[in-house]
Amino acid sequence: MSRSIEELADRINTVTPLEEAYPVLLRQINDPPKILYYIGDISLASQICVSAVGSRKATPYGKWAAFSIGEKLGQNGVVSVSGMAQGIDSFVHKGSLKARGRTIAVLGNGPDICFPSGNIDLMRRIADEGLILSEYAPGVRPTKFTFPLRNRIISGLSAATIVVEAGLHSGSLITAERASEQGREVYAIPGNINNINAIGGNKLIKDGASPLIVLDDILDDMGLERKAGTRLNVELGKDESIVLELIKSGGEVTCDEICRALSRHPGEVSGIVTVLEMKGCVYSALGKIFVAK
Amino acid sequence: MISKINTATLTGLESDIVTVETCLTNQLPGISITGLASQTIQESRERVRVAIAASGFRFPHKKVTINLAPAWSRKEGSHFDLPMAIGILAASGELKEQQYTDYAFIGELSLDGSINSVTGALPLIIGLRDGGIKKIILPKGNAEEASIVRDVILYAADSLKQAIELLQGADSKPYNSCVKYRYGSSDGTNGLYEDVVGQESAKRAITICVAGGHGIFMMGFPGSGKTMLAQRIPSIMPEMTYEEMLEATKVYSVAGELSNRRPMIIQRPFRTPHHTISPAALLGGGGIPKPGEISLAHHGVLFLDEFPEFSRQVLEMLRQPLEERKINIARAAHKVTFPSSIMLVAASNPCKCGFYGDDRHQCTCTTAQLNQYRSKISGPILDRIDLQIEIPPVKYKELLEEDNIPGKSSASMREAVKRARKIQRERYINEGISLNSELNAAQLREYCILDTDCKALLREGIEKLGLSARAFSKVVKVARTIADIDEDTSIRMHHIAEAMRYRSLDKFYRNL
Repeated sequence: MSRSIEELADRINTVTPLEEAYPVLLRQINDPPKILYYIGDISLASQICVSAVGSRKATPYGKWAAFSIGEKLGQNGVVSVSGMAQGIDSFVHKGSLKARGRTIAVLGNGPDICFPSGNIDLMRRIADEGLILSEYAPGVRPTKFTFPLRNRIISGLSAATIVVEAGLHSGSLITAERASEQGREVYAIPGNINNINAIGGNKLIKDGASPLIVLDDILDDMGLERKAGTRLNVELGKDESIVLELIKSGGEVTCDEICRALSRHPGEVSGIVTVLEMKGCVYSALGKIFVAK
Repeated sequence: MISKINTATLTGLESDIVTVETCLTNQLPGISITGLASQTIQESRERVRVAIAASGFRFPHKKVTINLAPAWSRKEGSHFDLPMAIGILAASGELKEQQYTDYAFIGELSLDGSINSVTGALPLIIGLRDGGIKKIILPKGNAEEASIVRDVILYAADSLKQAIELLQGADSKPYNSCVKYRYGSSDGTNGLYEDVVGQESAKRAITICVAGGHGIFMMGFPGSGKTMLAQRIPSIMPEMTYEEMLEATKVYSVAGELSNRRPMIIQRPFRTPHHTISPAALLGGGGIPKPGEISLAHHGVLFLDEFPEFSRQVLEMLRQPLEERKINIARAAHKVTFPSSIMLVAASNPCKCGFYGDDRHQCTCTTAQLNQYRSKISGPILDRIDLQIEIPPVKYKELLEEDNIPGKSSASMREAVKRARKIQRERYINEGISLNSELNAAQLREYCILDTDCKALLREGIEKLGLSARAFSKVVKVARTIADIDEDTSIRMHHIAEAMRYRSLDKFYRNL
């Protein structure tokens, strides 16, 4: 599952708390790493960082939320931090990269090892455009003990941590716990109470985390100025507007439900949904259609 | 004295005339058989000897030499019993030459002299007819399947005695089919689409794939109705033509899958092999090659449920027969070709446990399991499947609603399919193809002309929706079919937009 990458191994540098370049916020935690191995631009770790973490088995909604958070942070010049795991973590990185923003991946293994191995392309891009960070020496393989320890670095680098989607026993809950111990802000994205993948996040909110209702909230809370998104206002046709309104009011609908509500033919509705998806207004997964704004 | 009796031998679906030459000589009594006869035929000397005696005839006290000409080709099958018995009786003077020369014989003998039915009777009869033989005596059990063949007179016999009496002129009425064949696409034994509640979008996609002959892949949670949808596909396929029935029945005849209950294939086959199937069972094979499931589904539907559970080897082997619409099976002794013009319908869960991405259930798969499950469906096999759809679960509310608006019925879907197929047949009349799915690259350029708006939409869609590059020609073909269903001569933007929705797996993989 894990894969070592030789060309990255040559680019590894180290930084210790004795050096200026050591991440500012990370110095302040109780147990900062004695040495950090990194690939890329270490100065990113001393900029304003927000971490977003979540389940490896993400729902389509979770992936969308993670991607949007990454994108939003990227657009506004905030560095996103996550763990490059499958699911939510990867989508946070991808969202930031899409917006040409900066992102940091904190690994639970040596910085020359890609885990999961399927993220190799993502890892190369982060090494080139962002920062790969780890307290483990090159060659150290991931184990189930390294990831919980790694989580303190993710939260430690960041002014705030967002839990995107977490089941009851998700590792991202550990990150949230570390963040609150470290005195950092914790956000959770609320979910439906019948959604098994949202229990962890909802429980965090019950325990005092701030619910993230609108993505911009996090920027406002940190006192950052919002920059307009790069997304252009799209022009919609009449049919498209009607369908979009329906999807908005339903939140999550199937093609069939749209057909029934509007008494339209499935073929027509399919076409309209495709166009809406191309325009970035909705997205669909596993037969369900969601609003994308 | 020497007698010469006509019969035939089978290689794959092709049959050739064989002459059974029998000679009685004054040597020590016994039977010897020459002419590359298989074990079954070697054993038939015992059946023939006992059956002749049991039928009240005298088995000659002479040396019987039987040669199966041409002697160089391998022969196989128990249907040589009857011609050999007739040959011996003819050689011993029981029959006169003019009584049997016009006839050909197939049938397996029982020890009591009765005639058992054989496998492959239909192709044998076709081979005999094509070889210029007009009258054939065959087992009663095979008469029904053989009666589909035109321009040949069939006589069904119960026993060797009856066959001899028939040749001697007694009461020889040709066999007439007792079933009046209903030329129907389906009697609805697998159900009709009006029974499927609340999957109108999926039904639309299925109409498109049947209309254009496209393969379809359905992904959905357990219980969302994938199997129900697939089973009903034959109910909207066009009726089988005579040639199609003949071809399908031939395959079933050789496979030994015909019975009294189903003497011929008059409805489009629907085959659902289990995912534990071996390569030989799916594609055909064996020492003497028999057709596999892919050929048994010829002119019908091959439904592979739990698609990723099939062994990778099996799935990869589907590629060539799907493309060429036939499968060549080469063994040391035989080289045969079986037809495999099928509509492939595949279904799968999103993951091994079935609940990946479901709100209500926890997915229990490990990451490794998820990756392994998906790696099975991705790749070149998906290149051969034009439409990919996701089936959302049906809500209980919809299932319970009594005043549900009735969904599309099989009859109306079949009407749409029929119209669209007619348009395609007429358009491709000079191309030697009849369906949009068969278009090659050059034909695609000629018949699927896109205006600049459509091209722009397609290019943008592929980029924005993350479709793979190979999706391009698939989308165009499917859009052509949608336009044909709409009876529109040119492909318009909304056809392209709809067609792009049927590439959902591309997106699914992008979103891993």
